[in-house]
Amino acid sequence: MLKPILYFSVAGLMLAAGCSKSAPSTSGGGSTSAPGSTPTFSLAWSEYPSWSVFGVAHEKGIIDGEEGKLGPIEEKWGVDIVLKEADYDTCLTYFGSSETDAVCITNMDTLAPSLSRDAVAILPTSTSVGADACIAVGIDSLDGLKGKPTYGLEMSVSQYCFERNLELQGKTIADYPFKNMDPGAAAQAMQSNQADIESIMVWNPFVMQTLRTRDGAKVIFDSSTIPEEIIDMVVIGKDALAKEGGEAFAGAIVEAFYEVNKMMADSTTGDDTLIAIGQKFSSLSLEEMKEVVKQTRFYGTPEAALALLTSEKFQNETMPQVSSFCESHGIVASKPVIGFNKDDAQFNFTTKFIEAAKAK
Amino acid sequence: MIRQPIQLRTRIVISVLSILAMFVAYEAIAMRQSRINPKQTVVPGITSLWDGIQKMTTPNRRGETWLVEDVKATYGRLFLGLGLGIGLSIIIGVAMGAYPWVEAFFVPAVSFFAKIPPTAMLAVYFVLFGTKTEMFVAMVGLSVFFTLAQSIYQVAKKDVSDHSVFKAYSLGATSPEVIYEVLWKQILPRVIESIRLQIGPAMVFLIAAEYVVGDVGIGYRIRIQSRILNMNVVYIYLVMLGGSGLLMDWSLTQLRRKLCPWFGE
Repeated sequence: MLKPILYFSVAGLMLAAGCSKSAPSTSGGGSTSAPGSTPTFSLAWSEYPSWSVFGVAHEKGIIDGEEGKLGPIEEKWGVDIVLKEADYDTCLTYFGSSETDAVCITNMDTLAPSLSRDAVAILPTSTSVGADACIAVGIDSLDGLKGKPTYGLEMSVSQYCFERNLELQGKTIADYPFKNMDPGAAAQAMQSNQADIESIMVWNPFVMQTLRTRDGAKVIFDSSTIPEEIIDMVVIGKDALAKEGGEAFAGAIVEAFYEVNKMMADSTTGDDTLIAIGQKFSSLSLEEMKEVVKQTRFYGTPEAALALLTSEKFQNETMPQVSSFCESHGIVASKPVIGFNKDDAQFNFTTKFIEAAKAK
Repeated sequence: MIRQPIQLRTRIVISVLSILAMFVAYEAIAMRQSRINPKQTVVPGITSLWDGIQKMTTPNRRGETWLVEDVKATYGRLFLGLGLGIGLSIIIGVAMGAYPWVEAFFVPAVSFFAKIPPTAMLAVYFVLFGTKTEMFVAMVGLSVFFTLAQSIYQVAKKDVSDHSVFKAYSLGATSPEVIYEVLWKQILPRVIESIRLQIGPAMVFLIAAEYVVGDVGIGYRIRIQSRILNMNVVYIYLVMLGGSGLLMDWSLTQLRRKLCPWFGE
């Protein structure tokens, strides 16, 4: 009678043990062009103007995002970059659960995962200068918004931008309720003339979409009041950076980013590149993309990136402020140690790879 | 030989082992994840789940306790939606089973919409019901209604023989009497069974909707907390969902046994 029980429990234990043994391996198997010794690293990205750059880099053959295949930059650095495209929130989970080596993420959203996985920001890609906006219908001014709920994603850059703007205008944050709603859903609700959605706080492409689709929709304020506070970046796990080939991987990502930026700056390939990015980013037209890259200002050169990372304001005002916001809103239980070119910080901004790209 | 009976004691031992195996498997996954990154919070060990429980039961600065607010919101929406959906589908379903002209009128719409997952037409629900409680209630109610009305009308039509209907008529029963005494009483256990099977899908749709538009509720909390990797909170909510599902399941089975002892297991 007890025999079957024994079988089952043994099988159960074996299953459990099997789980614990099969740690994920990232070796590139069965590749033809990448030799077996080439280390493989993954970059998770979601559709956003300065992150779609990596998708475009793959399309234009600068890098090859498939595992086992190398583009020219990967060959030069001797590293295989695997691109993983996913929803933004999914990218955050990938990074937090060590499912990816590097991730495209904002400065603010890096704080929470950096508490459990040390993070190294290797490259700022852009900053929001109007790409996050509070859009209202039937309300003309900030005073008119008082007491009315604004819908947007809680604990995200939207809420940050919302409260920062109120702060700058000297308003009491408690007077302006911020209610949670997925930005896509909030934009959709406003575009379908929902009576109870009078104000939303969303990011692009929803900002452009809503302004285009809903008559009478008006921007109450946007992130152009807080330039260089919301930063889109590429972050690598410190563990991944320490692996063999980790630094080459970082170097290759930085170079690939600047290569595409050169194509954008070039008058012969510029429009073409923008169109390619626009296709990745919610099928926007060339004209709309020109607007988008104004609102999402790229750090297109090493010089621009260095100017941000070495600026007093960013180091001593912006990041502490973002960190305090995260702590007071329960996004982090305690503030992570943020450092600039400090290898032992939990969240380290390094200029090493940008400087290498500049020297070249 | 199959179906060989086992003693109650053996059954209990096996069940306890199964529960233990779940814990062992969970710890094993947590340990595997910790080997990749010792500081990870994605699959917290069983001990750190306790922190999660504390986080959700301690009132925040506004005096709100997550657990209380979320349970009130989600189950409020669920039960209101279920109540409306069940009530409506019993009325329409029985009427469809009783009168062919009602059946002819409702069959196209009911059988068509029963096949569309409501989450896929979230935008339509926005337009029709807004983004507040009404929307969640409507989503649960309608998702339950279409499927349940269909299954109720099927049993009302097929599980009650013409024989018993005509017998009741020849004994002098009126139509309402036939519907209540003959149709309804015979299909009741199957109706309860169908309701039981609808709770799962209703919960899926509700959580998904809260995930997108909720500003309070279990789906909302799961999304926001998993975004900042507070998985110890998320897993407790998942355990709670599993537990409450089991409880509802069990209650309906008990209800059926009490109301229709003749139906058997």
